[in-house]
Amino acid sequence: MLSRVADSLYWMSRYVERAEHTARVMAVKLESMIEQQPEDARASWARVVEALQDAHWDDLPQDAPAITKRLVFDRENESSLLASLSFARDNARQVREALSNEVWGNLNRLYLHLSGINADAIWVHSPALLFRDVLDEMQALEGVTYSTLSHGEGWYFLELGKYIERVQLLGRMLDVHFRQGGVTPKYFDWLVLLKFCTAFEPYTKLYTASIKPQKIAEFLLFDPEFPHSIRFSIDRVTEALARVAPGAPPARRAAVERLAGRLKASVDFGQIDELMSGGIAVFLSDITRQCEKIHEALFASYITYGAETVL
Amino acid sequence: MQGEALANTEDFGGPDPVTGPARAALAGKDAPYAKYDLARAYDEMFAPDGRPRPPYIALDSRLTSLALEELVRRQQACEQSFLHQGITFTVYNDNQATERIIPTDLLPRIVTAGEWERIERGLTQRITALNLFLRDIYGDGRVLKDGIVPREMIYGSKHYRREMRGLPVPHGSYVNICGSDLVRNEAGDFVVLEDNLRVPSGVSYMLANRDVARRAFPGVFRSMNVRPIEHYPLELLATLRALAPFEQDVSIAILTPGVFNSAYFEHAFLARQMGVELVEGRDLLVNDNVVYTRTTSGLKRIDVIYRRIDDDFIDPLIFREDSSLGVSGLFNAYRAGNVVIANALGTGVADDKAIYAYVPRLIRYYLSEEPILDNVETFLCREDKALKHVLANLDKLVVKAVGESGGYGMLVGPHASQAERDAFADKLKADPENYIAQPTIQLSTAPTFVGDGVEARHVDLRPFILTGTETKIVPGALTRVALKRGSLVVNSSQGGGSKDTWVLSR
Repeated sequence: MLSRVADSLYWMSRYVERAEHTARVMAVKLESMIEQQPEDARASWARVVEALQDAHWDDLPQDAPAITKRLVFDRENESSLLASLSFARDNARQVREALSNEVWGNLNRLYLHLSGINADAIWVHSPALLFRDVLDEMQALEGVTYSTLSHGEGWYFLELGKYIERVQLLGRMLDVHFRQGGVTPKYFDWLVLLKFCTAFEPYTKLYTASIKPQKIAEFLLFDPEFPHSIRFSIDRVTEALARVAPGAPPARRAAVERLAGRLKASVDFGQIDELMSGGIAVFLSDITRQCEKIHEALFASYITYGAETVL
Repeated sequence: MQGEALANTEDFGGPDPVTGPARAALAGKDAPYAKYDLARAYDEMFAPDGRPRPPYIALDSRLTSLALEELVRRQQACEQSFLHQGITFTVYNDNQATERIIPTDLLPRIVTAGEWERIERGLTQRITALNLFLRDIYGDGRVLKDGIVPREMIYGSKHYRREMRGLPVPHGSYVNICGSDLVRNEAGDFVVLEDNLRVPSGVSYMLANRDVARRAFPGVFRSMNVRPIEHYPLELLATLRALAPFEQDVSIAILTPGVFNSAYFEHAFLARQMGVELVEGRDLLVNDNVVYTRTTSGLKRIDVIYRRIDDDFIDPLIFREDSSLGVSGLFNAYRAGNVVIANALGTGVADDKAIYAYVPRLIRYYLSEEPILDNVETFLCREDKALKHVLANLDKLVVKAVGESGGYGMLVGPHASQAERDAFADKLKADPENYIAQPTIQLSTAPTFVGDGVEARHVDLRPFILTGTETKIVPGALTRVALKRGSLVVNSSQGGGSKDTWVLSR
């Protein structure tokens, strides 16, 4: 596979994952804010903004429409939903020949749909509906990605992008909820956190409906079977790394796989009770840093390597 | 309502519309042709008396039975589908990039088996002569020694590539992919307007338009024995394979300028359809005169490059050094015979406006045959007699500068003022070798759906000619349409669209 193609597939997938996460968080947030007191809602918005943007807004707007506009429709904001979709589509267009008609068509339609929406008009009815629609379309995109592409090297680059991004997104979402200091989340906020991560029902199946922060942390960090847990995502990253660049020289492969092995060990042997006394933030930032290292090694070994090193 | 019902029967494979009740809708009189203008030009669908020509009877009967709203619906569905598939080009305005589709007309243009047979023979003859000509001017130069073509026209051409002299190309085929523009004149004869021997585009639209027209008129399509064109990518692949010096495991790539090029959709489309790599300049590197692509697993050798980049930009070491689209060292790898580039470099010397005028002579010279397809009558101002004629008839002619394209350096005599013509006459006299002149030609018109009816619009015809060991032409073409009423400009940048072309089998 061409290195440039691998590069674009990887980034396309990261941006799609980011867009889906944003759409889901927005849907849940807009549905749930009706039930919150204004000051709780504001603290909750601040957490959402920080989790989605990886930044604290000093000028956090007062009203939900203004925040939504910036998080979703603002093209100047590089992490907005529309910008993410636009980047995903630009990358997809670069590798049009490596994608099926279905994958391109779904992504393109989704982008055209959202870019045609008037940001002010969604407030007339239930604004969350738009994001539920977008989520449906994103799930259709995920479905055709799974079912119309060969599960070869290109598909595993998509997997890498998706799960490396997911670890980062989950990491930030958990961090803003579990970090010490600031406004402590309330019962309702923990419920919403599960929904942000599409985890409410899977969680209750395992732990019943008793909502406990420690159990939530354990589930979202270490559950081996739930697709939106950090451990599950890291397992997929490790698997995918074994399947890309099949012909690359062993030394190059080892550089990447060693890092992945170390990351996998951190979550396989993590203990939640050791983390609960303030260690979660440290743990999460370590996981995030390891992911960034894997990203760098992946690019250095397979994508941006100097030609002189292989001739 | 009746139209609606008929539309449904047709979609489910209902009765053949040709067997429907006889009716007589006259062009220029009855719906949906009330505003159909049968002017000076030859009309593809209607005879001068306003009745449909035989190949169009089935389509006519469908059009007159179909509700207008149904046509509108099908037109919208088609536009929607192009937009979703990303068959678009980008227009940049005030920092705002807008994506537009190239308009497609639903109504097919029909070419009969007899007409096609002549076009096919004529274009094969023409490309054969042009390839022999290119081999000659980059080889012995017999045609120059014999005084058929003036030396300075070749050596003075900005598309002549000294670097190609004495360099053999596979099977002597310089032009492997050609897209010739034909027009039908007032007399109803197809004539060649232009040979595009460099990087012709549009073939993806030929294929996309087929889907559109077949979906819009399935019954008519089925009843007419339209020859298939879907094998074009396969033929292109076979042509490219045949250029490699060996047969097994030929590694082929399409070289594209990238996603910002207006034909990028086509490059990606062909790569997918053929199952070959789509590469940009930055994906390729040359080491020891061998071309490689950078893959995740290491470097992979490339044997044949179908380039969609102009000569000038292909190798900054040899040609334009400011090009960032090309590959340094590519030309040396080519010269060493380690990679084949299609089309060969330097083919542009044979498709400029002055050489065009010589093509009939070249056919006679190399093949000892009379040209099957005529040129548009062309006056070479370098020849005294022609210059006198041009100066005396400036008000009737279109005068073009030889090395220019896109309408620059051009005088459209009938539309120019006397002062403009006088000024141009001075330029002509000062530098006659730089100019040719042609009579204004009325391109033929074809039925085109315009929203509230069917009207006549001017069209041309671009078939695609493939030449590896032999010449093959897929029986189809891109028919370009000037969508503005009365306009003769079919270019997509200036309000042109396109439509499907149905070549009938015998």
